[in-house]
Amino acid sequence: MSVISISHITKSFGDVQVLKDFNEVFQDGEFITLLGPSGCGKTTMLRILAGFERPTSGELSIDGVVVNSDTVFIPPEKREIGMVFQSYAVWPHMTVFDNVAYPLKIKKVPKDVIKKKVMDILEVVHLSQYADRLPSQLSGGQQQRVALGRALVAEPKLLLLDEPLSNLDAKLRENMRYEIKDIQKKLGITVVYVTHDQIEAMTMSDRVFVINRGVVQQVGSPEDIYKRPANQFVADFVGKLNFLKGKVENGRIQLKGLSQSLPYTGPLTGDVMVCIRPENIHITPKEISVLSGTLSHIYYLGNENDCRVQLGDDIFIRMSTYPDLHDLKLGQELFMELSDFLVYPDDGEAHTKILT
Amino acid sequence: MASQKSAAISTKRGSFHFDAKWIFIIAIIAFLLVFQVLPLIYLLVRSFFPEGHFSLEAFARIYSYALNWTALKNTIITGGAAMIFGVLIAFPLAWLVGRTNMYGKNFFRTLFVMTYMVPPYVGAMAWLRLLNPNAGILNKFLMDLFHLAEAPFNIYTLGGLTWVLTSFYYPYAFITISRAMEKMDPSLEEAARISGASPLRTLFTVTLPLMMPSIVAAALLVFVAAISCYGIPSIVGAPGQIHTVTTRIIDYVYIGNQEGITDSTVLAVFLMALALIVLYVSNIPLKRQYITVSGKSTRPNIVDLGKWRWVATLGVTLFAIVVVVIPFATVFATSFTMNMGKPLTLDNMTFKYWNTIFSRKAIISSTQNSITAAFLAATFGLLVSCVMAYLLKRTNVKGRHIPDFLITVGSGTPSVVIALALIMTMSGKFGINIYNTMAIMVIAYMIKYMLMGMRSVVSAFSQISPSLEEAAQISGSGWVRRFKDIIIPLILPSIVAGWFLIFMPCFYELTMSTLLYSADTKTLGVELYTYQTYHSQQTASALASAILIVVMTMNILLNKLTKGKFSI
Repeated sequence: MSVISISHITKSFGDVQVLKDFNEVFQDGEFITLLGPSGCGKTTMLRILAGFERPTSGELSIDGVVVNSDTVFIPPEKREIGMVFQSYAVWPHMTVFDNVAYPLKIKKVPKDVIKKKVMDILEVVHLSQYADRLPSQLSGGQQQRVALGRALVAEPKLLLLDEPLSNLDAKLRENMRYEIKDIQKKLGITVVYVTHDQIEAMTMSDRVFVINRGVVQQVGSPEDIYKRPANQFVADFVGKLNFLKGKVENGRIQLKGLSQSLPYTGPLTGDVMVCIRPENIHITPKEISVLSGTLSHIYYLGNENDCRVQLGDDIFIRMSTYPDLHDLKLGQELFMELSDFLVYPDDGEAHTKILT
Repeated sequence: MASQKSAAISTKRGSFHFDAKWIFIIAIIAFLLVFQVLPLIYLLVRSFFPEGHFSLEAFARIYSYALNWTALKNTIITGGAAMIFGVLIAFPLAWLVGRTNMYGKNFFRTLFVMTYMVPPYVGAMAWLRLLNPNAGILNKFLMDLFHLAEAPFNIYTLGGLTWVLTSFYYPYAFITISRAMEKMDPSLEEAARISGASPLRTLFTVTLPLMMPSIVAAALLVFVAAISCYGIPSIVGAPGQIHTVTTRIIDYVYIGNQEGITDSTVLAVFLMALALIVLYVSNIPLKRQYITVSGKSTRPNIVDLGKWRWVATLGVTLFAIVVVVIPFATVFATSFTMNMGKPLTLDNMTFKYWNTIFSRKAIISSTQNSITAAFLAATFGLLVSCVMAYLLKRTNVKGRHIPDFLITVGSGTPSVVIALALIMTMSGKFGINIYNTMAIMVIAYMIKYMLMGMRSVVSAFSQISPSLEEAAQISGSGWVRRFKDIIIPLILPSIVAGWFLIFMPCFYELTMSTLLYSADTKTLGVELYTYQTYHSQQTASALASAILIVVMTMNILLNKLTKGKFSI
């Protein structure tokens, strides 16, 4: 349980700046997720928290104690942090018990206390019957839980997780998501979780930090970043998205390359980018529709249909429909309304393509 | 892979499906059977059946002779000591160079790895000159410095022999341990740090136990290299009457009669058994080796040495000066010294020995011989390596592990044993007489050094995804074509490296050449040894310096050619 203050942390490897001015306070008991594409700097931030990397500048304190500044550096072993590594890093020459007991042995905890604490934590991670096994005799998911047990056994103030689920299969990943969240609630510890998987970020976090190219793009609750993304990058990275170019004219957005327009009352003028989530497009009667097009593809996903609708020459949008709701045929003309859409200034850079 | 499948299916059906790969496997196996297995077995048989019937008489005679017993003891003592000291030096060095923030890490790594390619007899020559009890340069220097009445060191002792062996074989351990350390997943150590362990505690509870299999392998490697070494004990030991098994074997062969040969085989059997047992044992821990290679490559965990940073750097610098700089400088200086009794001043300086090595006919022809033999051994050896690597990594043809096994055994067999076995079998006894030809030398070199090339090519093969080749196969190219169009271009850097790895040790080879050379096929190593022992140490030093320059140049060239991916 701890408060982490990060002020003006930057990090460069040679000429490459991987973190630009990171400023934040992580509150006690918060589940924080650092979300972003690979190479965005999220793992570097995590390793700075752990003490494996030293920031180029800035100050970091845990519970009011400065652990990193221009003059102070507290090495990882003195920070009392738990960490789960992407590759688990379970020591292959030690049994499950010895792996989990290691942090306590370092602390010179009496043997009988070690035994009790380790068995307790193995109970939490469902590994009690595997205490005497070597890691090579365990599955990936079990090894992952050994790593989690080892990170938790010394009751750390802070738990760091570096893409801990990325090496697991889809089903196991889903179970572990709930388990990690349950354990965090039960123990009430502060967690910093690094991932590139938006579903992990959405399901577990109190606050999500979306990072790109070393810069925090947005901080917010999962709902904030999904419903009110701060920019095109966040909107695109979290969830699926359609992009349509347009121009604001007389309270409407005239879509480029199309003879269609959308009602708009917002503050933007000139060139804009319209972002529409597939689930916000609905089939309606012609009279109340705002968009029309030809159905070009249907992909059946079970719980939904993933449809492509051609609006004009080379302009397609992606739309989700419920399989049982409409009887759709390829090539048929569709009329659609939008329950929500986002408008950003068109910066003329990336995200100009219509399908993602 | 379709062709193997069809091969497997057709065998099941009982019909014979001819697979072109078999020609290569059979050719390689036949070569190894004739030139490696037959000679080694004959050597073994001959030692137990000296006159055609079973007799332990030769064993009794040889092992009751005190000189031989001493030689055995010396071999094991010096080999064991070199092994222990070698690892004690190599592990901390590998750790400091690979895992700490010591200054000049890359420089030191290159330096220590480079000494691996230096012929061991160069070290022997240097230390002889430095620590000779009468006139050793270092001895004299220390006597003057501390006003000693006697020379503090004597190279002609078991200690002296151990010192030279250690200082020239620790790089074997250094390279093995360094590689294992590089491969280790750094998060295993980070997990210990975050659990509260200090860097030192992490080293002892995580790094060291995980490294144990590699350390054992490294130790045994040094042991086998040291007990099989001839160059060092023959130069350091002979004047001090310190015999080892290798020098005794060659003494017996030089007697020149049948009894001499028989006696040498009895000693050779001992050496071979020792080497092969060690080779076998060193493979046991390897099977238990933990997989510590992770998918995600992060920068290795660098330990901040703090105030020890300068101390460590200074210590390693001193070590490098003593083990690398001083010996090489000594050999180099000796090659310019007119009168060996006097220090190297301008008056006492001469280029005549360098002149000699570039003008004397005998030396030039020996150099030509060495280049030719090494070139042939490297080229044929690499050809075999490429085919073997392909068979091992890309097919599941039956028996593909047999040549691999034989090549490994050949490389583990002491040089002197290989040469002796070849002499006994290839001088007409079994219908092949290549004794006193260059062919016998090329074959001996191949058996001993082919593995180095093969390992290089095999590791390159395992890094190429099979799908690259499958794509060519689906496009309709046969396996010979795929080899030429896809594989060869992709593994070319490794092929070049593998070629040099075989060429270099053959180029300056001494031990096998000593037994196999004839008047027409004298090699550089033998020439150098003759000069060092009988004629002129300065000429030998000039030759050694020239060899060193060639080896270094090749190494730098190789590094440039393969864009830093390979150097020795």
